[in-house]
Amino acid sequence: MTTHPSPAVIARYADREADLDEVTVWSVEVHLEDCAGCRAQLAGSTTDDTLAMLARVAAGLDRDIVAGPVPARRRRWSAARNRWLVWHLVPWLTMTVAVLGCAVLLQALQPGLPSLVSLLAPVAPLPGVAIAWSRRHDPAWELIAGTPAAGLAMLLRRTAAVLAVVVPALALASSRTGISLALTLLPCLAFTAATIALGALIGVRLAAVGLGVAWSLAVVVPAVVTADLPTVLLPGSSGGWALLTLVLAGFAATRADNFRRLSSHN
Amino acid sequence: MRRAAAGDRRAFDELYRRTSPWLLARLRRRCADDDVVADVMQETYLAVWRAAGSFAGSATSGSAVGWLWTIAGNRLVDAFRRRARQSQVPAVPLADTVAPAAEDEVLAGRVGHELEQALLVLPPEARQVLRAMVLDGFSVRETSLLLGVPENTVKSRARRARIALREALS
Amino acid sequence: MRTVSAAETVPTTYPWAVHAEGLRVRAGRHVAVDGLDLALGTGVHGLLGPNGAGKTTLIRALATVLKPAGGRLTLLGESVDGRADLRRVRRGLGYLPQQFGFYPRFTVREFVEYMAWLKEMPKAAVPGAVQRAIDRVGLAAKAGSRMKTLSGGMLRRAGIAQAIVNDPAVLLLDEPTVGLDPEQRLDFRELLRDLGVDSCVLVSTHLVEDVVAACTDVVIINEGRLVHQGTPDDLVAQGGEGDAGDSPAERGYSALLRRHRAGAPR
Repeated sequence: MTTHPSPAVIARYADREADLDEVTVWSVEVHLEDCAGCRAQLAGSTTDDTLAMLARVAAGLDRDIVAGPVPARRRRWSAARNRWLVWHLVPWLTMTVAVLGCAVLLQALQPGLPSLVSLLAPVAPLPGVAIAWSRRHDPAWELIAGTPAAGLAMLLRRTAAVLAVVVPALALASSRTGISLALTLLPCLAFTAATIALGALIGVRLAAVGLGVAWSLAVVVPAVVTADLPTVLLPGSSGGWALLTLVLAGFAATRADNFRRLSSHN
Repeated sequence: MRRAAAGDRRAFDELYRRTSPWLLARLRRRCADDDVVADVMQETYLAVWRAAGSFAGSATSGSAVGWLWTIAGNRLVDAFRRRARQSQVPAVPLADTVAPAAEDEVLAGRVGHELEQALLVLPPEARQVLRAMVLDGFSVRETSLLLGVPENTVKSRARRARIALREALS
Repeated sequence: MRTVSAAETVPTTYPWAVHAEGLRVRAGRHVAVDGLDLALGTGVHGLLGPNGAGKTTLIRALATVLKPAGGRLTLLGESVDGRADLRRVRRGLGYLPQQFGFYPRFTVREFVEYMAWLKEMPKAAVPGAVQRAIDRVGLAAKAGSRMKTLSGGMLRRAGIAQAIVNDPAVLLLDEPTVGLDPEQRLDFRELLRDLGVDSCVLVSTHLVEDVVAACTDVVIINEGRLVHQGTPDDLVAQGGEGDAGDSPAERGYSALLRRHRAGAPR
């Protein structure tokens, strides 16, 4: 702020009848936006009928304020909470955690079984991810579908909310049953990426169901029957899982446009 | 100041005392009808009172007067819409003189001398559009409503103004 | 001073806010909109038609929730069929579905704020815009109440608030007056007229008197095709003594439908 307008100019600005050229008006207005001192100067040079008008407005304002409720204090985090917490996911996530808990128990009771936790790890996030993007379960789906934010970014945000619950649960379960963390988390992430990547083509719900069924039939059932851990879950395969995750994530990123219309394939 | 306004009546009254003369003067130069101006002032401050919690909570930068003007501008647009519907669009005052008189000091502020010269060169309609869009922050649609000109006219005037300014300033 | 972006100063080349040519949209297996030609500009357009005419499907297609199966659709000058940058178009849209769901735990203000965030409004403008939307629909007293405590009419008003929070250039309302009592309906008509001053509003409704009272233009569709588009006076002029209906407008409406069904040229 270099120089301030002279008090005379400010007084002329305040008075509507007074003659003031446009360019000066512009300069004064730009200046007043930032300078509280000059605004105070303006307040001091108001005419009587201006003051009367301000008083009338103040009286009307007073009536309206008294008639209405007192504004509540907003918690700063409430807006952020609304964006990240997805309430309709809660029952499904609870179910997932409960299933993992049962797996841990079962493992403790029947040591002969192959590690149930690592068998279930890949499919653990799938119910959550499927529900996060489902028209039937999201009450505000129709509203969200037409907004600019509907797309891959939103799906990822909700998936992150799912993983925020599933990953610690898996970590806990795997530490309880003595399995390496990498072996449970990496397949989990890989399958999440696969659901999203496949979801770009056939719809997230269908992808989740398909992958879940395929994994159960191809891997879980034989493993339980033969009481043997499948090769894909042996230690040392973590590298493969990590690579798979990256490839699938890359593929999903290239198909981001498909997610703009939630209704396609859903 | 803004923080205190959330629920605190005294701070709010203080805000009103300090900013209402400024807002009134500015609104009057956009609308010739005092009733409309009074309505807009009342609605603006009421909105500030009611939404004070949200303003305090948002971490965005921006001064209190900046917010005040944004809200006031919106309410002005709404008022014009209501009146346009009833074909009672308020008049928009245009300044009589254009060039600064010799006895006025040349104001530095943020408007440099070249910019002043450039503004003088523009036709008044273009200057009006520029003021609405640049100084007041209205969108094309809102400017067209407030000035009573079609959107395409607003856009072409704004473009001409920008080109002229760029030439004058280079 | 705020700067004006170059994009804002380029004159628009689109004559119509909504322009459909031969639009075909599927709802499930059924082709609900079949070869519809429509051009809508500024103003309030009433969308009338019998049940199953394709009104909701049309509105959903215009809201970019449904992808058109054929034909051309242009919103705000941008083509939205096939691969299109939907984000930019959606920022200028407002949509209220007939049965809109919401998250019950949200308060009214949180709900409108959430939708403002989904519509990618600039953060600084959100509190003011939310308050403005809430004030315009008359929910200022209930801004802090939870959505699940609202009555039907208030819920619908909250829905309208989220639709107008981003001051859209195209506003799509599907049966917005359902559940409103007569006084609320009058208030709503006032709001509609305000909105129609400088944006394109399409209101789908069963109530012919709503259309006549608030709309500058009437669009009648049947079996997915356009039957008639014209002013309310035009509609009244179509009716004759022998047509069904309690008001001149209703008689005009049934006359037009009858002729369309009979296949007579309009």
